[in-house]
Amino acid sequence: MRISAALIVVAVSLVACRASDPRPVLSFSGSSLGPEAAVVRQQLDRFADRHPDVRVELRVTPDAADQRHQLYVQWLNARSSAPDVLQLDVVWTAEFAAAGWILQLDRFAPDVTDFVPAALQASRWRGALYALPWFVDVGLLYWRTDLLRSAPASVTALEQAARQSITGGQTPFGLVWTGARYEGLVTVFVEYLAAAGGGILSDDGRVIVDEAAAVAALSRMREEVGPDGIVPISALNWREEEVRLAFQNGQAVFMRNWPYAWSLLQDPTRSRVAGRVATAPFPGLESHEPAAALGGAQLAVNAHSSQPQLAFALAEFLTAPEQMLERARLAAQLPARLSLYEDGTLEQVLPIPIPPVRQALNAAIPRPVTPVYSELSEILQVSLHRSLTGQQPPADALAEAAANIRALLKRSGLGTETGTR
Amino acid sequence: MAALLIAPAAGLIAIVALLPIAATVWEALHGHDLRLPWLGRPFVGLGNFVEAAGDPRFVEAVLHTVLFAVVSVPIEIALGLALALVMHRALRGRGAIRVAALLPWTVPTVVAALIWRFMFEAYSTTAFDWFVHPLAAWVPIIAADVWKTTPFVAILMLAGLQTIDPALDEAARIDGAGPLRRFVTITLPLLGPALVVATAFRALDALRLFDLVYVMTGGGPGTATEPLSLYAFVVLMQRLRFGYGAALSITVFLLTFAFALIWIRTIGRSLTSDHA
Repeated sequence: MRISAALIVVAVSLVACRASDPRPVLSFSGSSLGPEAAVVRQQLDRFADRHPDVRVELRVTPDAADQRHQLYVQWLNARSSAPDVLQLDVVWTAEFAAAGWILQLDRFAPDVTDFVPAALQASRWRGALYALPWFVDVGLLYWRTDLLRSAPASVTALEQAARQSITGGQTPFGLVWTGARYEGLVTVFVEYLAAAGGGILSDDGRVIVDEAAAVAALSRMREEVGPDGIVPISALNWREEEVRLAFQNGQAVFMRNWPYAWSLLQDPTRSRVAGRVATAPFPGLESHEPAAALGGAQLAVNAHSSQPQLAFALAEFLTAPEQMLERARLAAQLPARLSLYEDGTLEQVLPIPIPPVRQALNAAIPRPVTPVYSELSEILQVSLHRSLTGQQPPADALAEAAANIRALLKRSGLGTETGTR
Repeated sequence: MAALLIAPAAGLIAIVALLPIAATVWEALHGHDLRLPWLGRPFVGLGNFVEAAGDPRFVEAVLHTVLFAVVSVPIEIALGLALALVMHRALRGRGAIRVAALLPWTVPTVVAALIWRFMFEAYSTTAFDWFVHPLAAWVPIIAADVWKTTPFVAILMLAGLQTIDPALDEAARIDGAGPLRRFVTITLPLLGPALVVATAFRALDALRLFDLVYVMTGGGPGTATEPLSLYAFVVLMQRLRFGYGAALSITVFLLTFAFALIWIRTIGRSLTSDHA
């Protein structure tokens, strides 16, 4: 009885406290797990100190990208004015921009010259800026320094070195990559594709994923995973962590993965390859330049925000160099500003060697910037996986994918040209 | 007066059962894509169903669902019947045997699916992987389903066996009928109603197959093991195409409903009327 009375008093005073705070609320939503949550809270508090006239609130969202996306779609479809600032995956920006859910940012005239070009490209839709790059992720080649003297200069050289290691009995596998039917497979394909000089959509929005360069790229992947190949067949079920474990246990010479794997591989208590690993950009096919898939997150402002000016100020504050550097130090996420890679400060903050990352970022390409990316990616995932598991020849699989993507673009009313909206 | 008294119950049924179905049907008649809000939510009539008929992934998903039911249900019925006969015969340790036989049924499907996935992953080699082969990937799925649901069939069969008068069996034995003859001419016909019910339950479950595949293969490799419910889920929850997804959900509903109707009307009636 006494306890419940006390609880009521506490509850009433809490409510009163809330009600008595007349300041408007500025809400932010993004990943809030572990170190990321700590960093975000710290930075939101700092922003709140500078703006005492508002209350800054962190809205917790699921960490799984699909679930967060679903939640955002529900909120924004209902024209909710909160959250004011949203963390978007790089591949969502075009979708949210085309739907009219996020604010065009050119009116605030932000200085964007320092951002990683590929990340900036993914922040734009039909020439207008809709988001600020926050942190980036980039595909890297990891290789074993005890088995090789230098990183391979081409995919052909990589395959040769991998075969030698398998036949010489040094490792059971040559190369491991994420081949399961999910987004990770598309990022690997995008790298082979760009390295072969091809693409998924052309600059003017045409579907070109059924052209010769794409068939060559997929055929190459299929040979690698086929009989006498260098990639184990089980990799067609593997995501980042299974790939990392195989490499970490010394089963492969090469691994294609993201920067997060570095510090885990260097932990001698868990990793058999600690101290015997280096990174490089994933090499090109034949005479082409290397290419790296770009991941990461951006910050956008809710189109129905009641205080867009302030929301933009928060996005600008979080993407400022000092906040990015702090994020790198505490959450090990790569900054989206090129200048931070130049002056040597990043080396003191991040364990991963910076020059190869910088090189990969120079070669970074965004995945297709289109409002229907999620569905486009799903179509590709199915066709790529069908071909890699031997159910369809590469040319047929890609022809089918291209036909489905064309039908999708037609149904979406986007057409192949730009500027309908 | 009678209508007035029925009204609350009828109203409740309408709200709980009919309203959601009606809402789904209504949604299925519209083009509604959450990702493409500029297209609005136009009425398209049967457009979504026409699209489904021309969608190879949908047609394949229907085939996968039906084939899974046709393969897995007979295995489960045969094994369940065998298990029931053993349990029926057992004189000592009856309770212990029944508990042991029922154990798989108590394991949540998601857990069972994970266990079987790990087992088959362990038996994959660098040259062969069950989950990468479009046909072999069905083996772990069917194995897990049979393992999990056979006990359920066995319990239904056991209940059926216990309603059979032992005097019939004894009389036949005295007349010189062997065990096989007695099983075929006495036990099996008298088990008819139990068999009809067990098959109906299992087939309806099999036609709605979702969780096992979702956990074990995700529908892959490619879409080689994707059943209808999983495809409807992908369209609804990942693509966020509510109109088309609702149309697919309705086809799942129609498929199970049609089976139930035909099964009860034909086989069910002929088998149960023999002993009425």
